[in-house]
Amino acid sequence: MEISKKILVLSGIVLLLLILFPLLLGTEHTVNLFIMLFITIILAQSWNILGGYTGQVSLGNAAFFGIGALSFHFLAWRWGLPFFFALPASGIAAVILGSFIGIPALRLKGAYFAIGTLALAEVLGITVGNIFPMAVYIPTAHITTYKLLSRYYLGLTVAMLTQGVAYLIIKSKVGLAMMAIRDDDEAADTSGVNLFKYKFISLVFSSFFSGLAGGVFAFYQISIMPSFLFSPRWTFEPLVAASVGGSGTLLGAVIGSIFLIILQELFALTLGKGYLIIFGAMFICVILFFPSGLVEISRRIRKSFQMRIGIPKKAEFSTKERG
Amino acid sequence: MAQVIIYGIISGAFYGLAAIGLSLVFGVMRHLNIAHGSLIMIGGFAAYWFFHLLKIDPFVSIPFVMVILFIFGALLYKGLFSHLDKLPEGQKIDNSMLVGFGLIWIIDNLATLLWTSDVRAVTPSYTGKVWQVVPGLRISFVGLIIIGIALLVIFSLHLLLTRTYFGKAVRATAQDRDAGNLMGINVARTYLIFFALSAALAGVAGVLAAVNYSVHPMVGFEWLLKATIILVLAGVGKIGPVFAAGVLLGIAEGISVYFVGATYREVVGLVIFILVLLRRSMR
Amino acid sequence: MLEIHEIDVYRRDIQILRSVSLAAREGKITALLGSNGAGKTTLLMAISGLLKPRTGSIWLNGISIDRQPVHKIVEMGISMVPEGRRLFPEMSVFENLELGAFTRKARDTKDQMMEEVFEIFPILKTRSTQIAGTLSGGEQQMLAIARGLMSRPRLLLIDELSWGLAPLMIQRISEAINQINTTMGLTIFIVEQNVSMTLEMADYGYILENGRIVGEGEARQLLESDEVKDAYLSIGDV
Repeated sequence: MEISKKILVLSGIVLLLLILFPLLLGTEHTVNLFIMLFITIILAQSWNILGGYTGQVSLGNAAFFGIGALSFHFLAWRWGLPFFFALPASGIAAVILGSFIGIPALRLKGAYFAIGTLALAEVLGITVGNIFPMAVYIPTAHITTYKLLSRYYLGLTVAMLTQGVAYLIIKSKVGLAMMAIRDDDEAADTSGVNLFKYKFISLVFSSFFSGLAGGVFAFYQISIMPSFLFSPRWTFEPLVAASVGGSGTLLGAVIGSIFLIILQELFALTLGKGYLIIFGAMFICVILFFPSGLVEISRRIRKSFQMRIGIPKKAEFSTKERG
Repeated sequence: MAQVIIYGIISGAFYGLAAIGLSLVFGVMRHLNIAHGSLIMIGGFAAYWFFHLLKIDPFVSIPFVMVILFIFGALLYKGLFSHLDKLPEGQKIDNSMLVGFGLIWIIDNLATLLWTSDVRAVTPSYTGKVWQVVPGLRISFVGLIIIGIALLVIFSLHLLLTRTYFGKAVRATAQDRDAGNLMGINVARTYLIFFALSAALAGVAGVLAAVNYSVHPMVGFEWLLKATIILVLAGVGKIGPVFAAGVLLGIAEGISVYFVGATYREVVGLVIFILVLLRRSMR
Repeated sequence: MLEIHEIDVYRRDIQILRSVSLAAREGKITALLGSNGAGKTTLLMAISGLLKPRTGSIWLNGISIDRQPVHKIVEMGISMVPEGRRLFPEMSVFENLELGAFTRKARDTKDQMMEEVFEIFPILKTRSTQIAGTLSGGEQQMLAIARGLMSRPRLLLIDELSWGLAPLMIQRISEAINQINTTMGLTIFIVEQNVSMTLEMADYGYILENGRIVGEGEARQLLESDEVKDAYLSIGDV
């Protein structure tokens, strides 16, 4: 498959900027913000592959995030495994969980799958919270050598990795199958697409990267409450970010996450959680009126702008990626 | 042990009331309004303010709370959910779930801003009153009222759906919407009223929650989980099974608390839920 | 009573009806004939309000109805017996009939209407507590028609009466329709593939082909016309 030159160049520039940013302009506050942004992007894109591209809305990504974070914490901090081992392991732990769930759950109809995954995340959260009621800490030896920048670059790397793999999947035949399932799963089934296989692949991707996000978070946070790792916010904020940005698009997760973080910052000093009200309202608008989110809105604006100037444009397909 | 059963029945009656609105709307209109829990929360706060500002007994305030929630539910339907009516069933369910979810954010966080996240409860003078039925078997006054209200609701809903033209119209349009229109039924308005009614029922549950348990702005999510468990256990659209499932859940929780302690109480319902779903996925 | 002026009707952006005009005269049985896919059901949906024409107009006794919502059109006096009957499958015969009399004015005369309907279709009285979904095809069709009558309409629309029914049942039901027309003076507009049965019942007929009206005339003359004989009698014959 070809990767367009324009995209490569643009990504390269963005990557360069992001690499240089903390060294030149970064303050502690903004670097922290970016780390959370990267984690949100990873989670949002994970949700997007399963929900936006394959049409399987999951409400339980917090479970994968939590397992990933917990695994990393134990493997890296408690049992002293090297990070290069612990981080992928946290992704794999999440995949193992995902497989256990996926095999029965993927046969359920949309809404039941959604609330089923939600229930699962809740069960895990409560159970973990009961087993580990106290906050857990990074061992002191590592606290003294704690470098915020390494967390930043790790987050950046994993986010780029997520984005890259997502791109490859979507542009491949696997992505085609996923979108077919999303658009009309009965038709896909009768055309010979193995529904379960592709839903499962989608789930593997989603759980793996959610687990990685958890690992990054465990690497980043000095102290965490284990039950908090399974809090619904790790499912819902990325979900809404991906949807508002544009579910079923590659950039949607990124744009939505940026929007979310910005809104959060704007409200931090005034109404605190108030940003969720605005974001919730935007989310509802997207569901009801703009299914392809901000990406679609920006394309519509661009289109009407082009029409006014009279620029001939290539044939426009719908914003959602189509095979 | 019999005490456990009694508490289970009281919890069950409450769970049934919490779930009945959600179940009816899902059964008739195929809207999965997961903000239902937040509506319960609003009902609870309304009861709290009626009690603390106007000194109105919570059970007396029920009709007023119902009116408030009825209007609010009608606005929600007219403004938001009605846009989804034209979608095919699968999409309608998914999208209404997502809309409900956005609503949770808006309602819960607005409530936090307005009322702070403090926990509130309504404690009229009779809150602690308990009767000894037989030695070793106690039942609280509030608990009896809850059971009474649940029975009243079951009875009224049954009458509404089987004896009135409105109720028949609701049942008919649930089976075939276009045919309903062809009978001269204003289906859009019927749905509006029915949705608002389910919100009013959430309000009733909210009042009871404020008296028997407590409310705070984020409590809606917990009630929603309970209601969803009941929804899946009871199947869709029939009134009786909803309350039966509620009682079952209440008793199951009571038993687990008796043997394992309170920390895993919430898990019981969720695990039952997951098991039911698992069985469903095997078919 | 019913006048349709040059309507274009689209379903999902595909044009089904092109510039269709016709009229159903008061007290008469008017038939619309056409093969599968010609647009007959679409036309009835446009009259009853389930679809709206993009251009053109529909008039009921001089009042425009093409922009009205479905339930209003029913209140104004049009009742439809839909294709496939569309009964309420989990409700009893009795409840289905009750729902037919949903409009305010119909409710007042509900009991009387039900008696009349039971006289036309006695089998329904016998089965009045039976669940509609368990009735036979012919009984379901009778119930659908009876239900349509409950609202005391001025105009009754019938879509594909003969669908899925045995010849004897079709005969019986068309006799019932004639009876309804003569005793109640009810204007009937019937849409059908079965040409001969319908033209024998009707007073006036239209022929619809690919969304256009390609012929019309007194039913007897249509029955004997060469074009109809060649084109349709071989397809739709009982």
